[in-house]
Amino acid sequence: MKWFRSLKTTMNLWTVLSVIFVLLVLLPNLSIIVQFFAEPNENWLHIREYMLQNYIQNTLILVFFVGILTLFIGTSLAWIISAYDFPMRRFFQWGMILPLAIPPYIGAYTYHGILNYTGVIQTSLRNQFDVTVNQQYFNIMNMPGAIFILTIFLFPYVYTITKAFLARQSTALVENARILGSSSWRIYFRVVLPISRAAIIAGVSLVILEVLNDYGVVSYYGIQTFTTAIFQTWFGMGDLQSAVKLSGTLMVIVLGILVIERIARGRRQFSFTTTKVKLLQPVKLEGPKKWYAFGFCMFIFSIGFIIPVIQLIYWATMTYEQFFSIDFWQLIWNSVSVAFIASTIIVVMAVVISNFARLNRGMLAKTFPKITILGYSIPGAVIAVGVVTLFTALDRQLFGFYEWLGLEPTLLISTSLFMLVFAYVIRYLAVGYNSIESGFDRIGTNFTEASRMLGMSVTKSFFKVDMKLIRGAIFGGFILAFIDIMKELPLTLILRPFNFDTLATKAYQYAVDEMIQQAAIPSIFIILVSGIAIYVFHHVLEKE
Amino acid sequence: MFNKKHLFMMMALLITAVILAACGGGDEEPQNEEQPEGTTGQGDEEAGEVNIYTSRHYDIDDEIYADFTEETGIEVNIINGSADELIERMNREGEASEADLFYTADAGRLHRAKEEGLLQSIESEVLNENVPENMRDRDSEWVGLTQRARIIAYHKDRVDPEELSTYEALTEPEWEGRVLMRSSENVYNQSLLASFIDLHGREEAKDWAQGIHDNLARSPQGGDRDQARAVVAGEGDVAIMNTYYLGGMLNSPDEEEVNVAEQLGIFFPNQETTGTHVNVSGVGLAGNAPNPENAVKLIEYLTTEEVQEIFAAANYEYPVNPNVEADSTIQEWGEFDTQEINLSILGENSAEATRIFNEVGFE
Amino acid sequence: MFVHIRNLAFKYPNAKDNTINDFNLTIDQGEIISILGESGSGKSTILRLIAGLDMPTNGNIMVGDHCMCSNSTFTQPEKRGVGMVFQDYALFPHMTVEDNIKFGLQKWSRKDKKNRVGEVLELVNLEDYRKRYPFELSGGQQQRVALARALAPKPKLLLFDEPFSNLDADLQIRIREELRRIIKSTGVTSIFVTHDQDDSQALADRIVVLREGEVAQIGTAQEILGTDCNFADRMPVKPRVLSRV
Repeated sequence: MKWFRSLKTTMNLWTVLSVIFVLLVLLPNLSIIVQFFAEPNENWLHIREYMLQNYIQNTLILVFFVGILTLFIGTSLAWIISAYDFPMRRFFQWGMILPLAIPPYIGAYTYHGILNYTGVIQTSLRNQFDVTVNQQYFNIMNMPGAIFILTIFLFPYVYTITKAFLARQSTALVENARILGSSSWRIYFRVVLPISRAAIIAGVSLVILEVLNDYGVVSYYGIQTFTTAIFQTWFGMGDLQSAVKLSGTLMVIVLGILVIERIARGRRQFSFTTTKVKLLQPVKLEGPKKWYAFGFCMFIFSIGFIIPVIQLIYWATMTYEQFFSIDFWQLIWNSVSVAFIASTIIVVMAVVISNFARLNRGMLAKTFPKITILGYSIPGAVIAVGVVTLFTALDRQLFGFYEWLGLEPTLLISTSLFMLVFAYVIRYLAVGYNSIESGFDRIGTNFTEASRMLGMSVTKSFFKVDMKLIRGAIFGGFILAFIDIMKELPLTLILRPFNFDTLATKAYQYAVDEMIQQAAIPSIFIILVSGIAIYVFHHVLEKE
Repeated sequence: MFNKKHLFMMMALLITAVILAACGGGDEEPQNEEQPEGTTGQGDEEAGEVNIYTSRHYDIDDEIYADFTEETGIEVNIINGSADELIERMNREGEASEADLFYTADAGRLHRAKEEGLLQSIESEVLNENVPENMRDRDSEWVGLTQRARIIAYHKDRVDPEELSTYEALTEPEWEGRVLMRSSENVYNQSLLASFIDLHGREEAKDWAQGIHDNLARSPQGGDRDQARAVVAGEGDVAIMNTYYLGGMLNSPDEEEVNVAEQLGIFFPNQETTGTHVNVSGVGLAGNAPNPENAVKLIEYLTTEEVQEIFAAANYEYPVNPNVEADSTIQEWGEFDTQEINLSILGENSAEATRIFNEVGFE
Repeated sequence: MFVHIRNLAFKYPNAKDNTINDFNLTIDQGEIISILGESGSGKSTILRLIAGLDMPTNGNIMVGDHCMCSNSTFTQPEKRGVGMVFQDYALFPHMTVEDNIKFGLQKWSRKDKKNRVGEVLELVNLEDYRKRYPFELSGGQQQRVALARALAPKPKLLLFDEPFSNLDADLQIRIREELRRIIKSTGVTSIFVTHDQDDSQALADRIVVLREGEVAQIGTAQEILGTDCNFADRMPVKPRVLSRV
């Protein structure tokens, strides 16, 4: 009787939709998780003997350092920009998200292009001053180099999510600390970092997942990580089964970490939330201090955006004819339209699942958020296999239906854009989800409960209260997902319909053939479109 | 009560998911059904279409395909991707796959597609005429369209070509700290080692991999062009790389790259012994091709003399059609003898090659 | 008996022990009840259970003639006709005072809404603040808006969660008196939860002392706290702002 009562009361639209959405995410991933339990074969033993230990070690080093560095860069920027006023602060507010617009592998090629023997630095030294340098000092293709590249192009995840939190929620505490005479550093370490834990974890976990499934940077720089092992097994040994088993292992490890984090957190209220929102007023910096703050921001912005973009523009001038021979409008349209559709779906799903999860207790509500990150935890190419499997199976099921419609019995869904959009959604749901969840985290459940006590249903409360309060987070999630999809590669490559090119596939096809100069123009377009999206995002939020 | 209910729901979800997945799997059986003859995709146009899954993507390709469409009325549709991913996609699509042609730049991969049963034999007199036998699959399931050699590039000032002889000689102590090669993850290195396994056996091939690894000037990183740069920059003296990358650098829009390439000499190794390692980029006819006639027409078109010339020149490769002269850039490098192995071997041995690289710790 | 709570029990999904154990209480119409207990005694949980924000593991709650919750039924909070003033007021920051109050009157006609807003604002003495946003108000004003908002839909039962914890001590004493006046003038049955004996004494008709999820004592202020309240005996009032970090 009682279980029936709770079933009846939790069974609303939000629950039903959440279950459906989670199922959709689960389906293609299931074939990967199942492989985790597959019987190990000869290749698997070989992988374990020769590759695994070293690869895991490298992966851990990479994840650790990129995680720590993005944490400090992201949160310190968020703190400086929210709490202080200094030259160009208004620009940096959104400018600091721009490095995210540069696909890390393009960044990797670009920095190598700047520093290598034929790059601008060495060339000038050689041609103008007749200095030939020791290559070792200019070599970026190593572990520190990869850490640098991944840090500098991924820190905006931490920055964006933390800043949104600080600007609204930290006011009382920070002002208190200021009154008590704490120094800026002290406030940063003793107040800012601890109270933004939830936001920081949301941001850093996105970074870590992105690092775990990166293939472009590490394979170009010759660093052997877990992802390399996956592709070495698949491409080199032609053993997809073992590759998927590795992916499944990766997925299980990621899930394990998340569950441990959840358990460690327990029922403790994690973030400081209050319904008394008050905006943090930035303190105007004077004298040298304002130039320190400016210098720090400018330094990060330069290496994360200005320098690589200038290099790309320089390459673009070498290959400008391309501009007229390729239909860039079509590429932009393709990229933007699929990214827009997929991000919209992602945001809707993320809102539904996170709203369900926060308003309910129990296992489902705890499990669902973890499932949203499944697609983000393993390399895109492996997900693609799961998606293709699912859709061709679906098409086979619909075989009779197609015949009945008088269509040529063939693959309809699995050769359509629908499959690609679906795959994007599965892959980047976590990006939208983390942003929206931290938005919900910020407002807590009090407003919703207040609204329900005033006679509004959960759904009405959502539209009248919650949605308005987390608009920024929703929009932020949309933009992050949008940018990610603009840059996305493996899924687009494998799952797109015939003759469907995007800016990212165009850039990739040149880069992979080591024609980085030709890759410049499509890359610049990716950066431009993403940059506009970030700018619009910022100005819509600014108005509030 | 909460827990019980939620547990129940979780189970229901999982079961649904498993059933759905199982249904999908079970249906893969009727794959051997006879493909209706000559069903062209939509069938609304008289000439129809041809669908290519390809890992090759040069700007010139689009123009060649456009010319083909103009000449024959057959539309050309393209999906790009990496070879192994495309193989997997064809695999999953099974009988319903829309792919007519599978195009990739490695004989090993073509062979892998063949092994997976994704290809069918191509019957065409034109092809037999245009493409030499060793550039075709034993069962004619794929044909090579262009070829490239994996050679030794050396610094003209620091290395006397007299010092160079074979791939094997680079494992000698005198080359310690002077050899450059990219990561073993790269398919060209895998195919190179695969050819050695066939020629010399596993043990010697492993010794070679170990020997090269011991003599490397730096740990493997970057692409082939980066190896060339490293030679000129003085990090090493010789690099094992593909010919067309040098061609690309010589014609690069970036002056500095041209500069680098001009300081390098090309040496075709093993001329006195087993011959230089060559690989092809080639195309296979998909087993479930919906438009096989059109597909064959396109392959034939790509092997004709006028198309071969531009098709190969686009990437500074050697045409397979013996009546066609190579691009001027690569003609200057001269003629050479190639390994006399059937290129299918590269595919057969590639997994073993990968394992050897891992065993000797070749990154 | 207007409110009837029987055998109420509650346990968090992962907790070992019940947070609320066999809680029983009956309340007359128009009565003001105070639930007094230290933090962790489960007093706020009882409010949430009555409000419908949490689902009890056992027990019945009746308000008026309606069964809010039993082992087979559960009325959603928005259907209960119960109002609540939250500890931090939870005023919607994106709405003006007027819109906050109108929020609970969605089914009313335009005119009625307007009249009602005027009425409750007059009751709490904030007629001139209609168009202000919550962040433009002082703590005491915010609390009065929260009260007005909760009263506006004419709830059968009004719940207060630590209504004074966010106020200065002298403001607290002033508002206490005013609150009792307002509640009594509307005649609404009320339950408020506090850790402060003074609050209980000043406001409540009857006091329920809660200890570790169980009722320790029920009675009038006199019966429980003695006739002359000894200030030295009082439970300490702790600052709570930072304790939630």
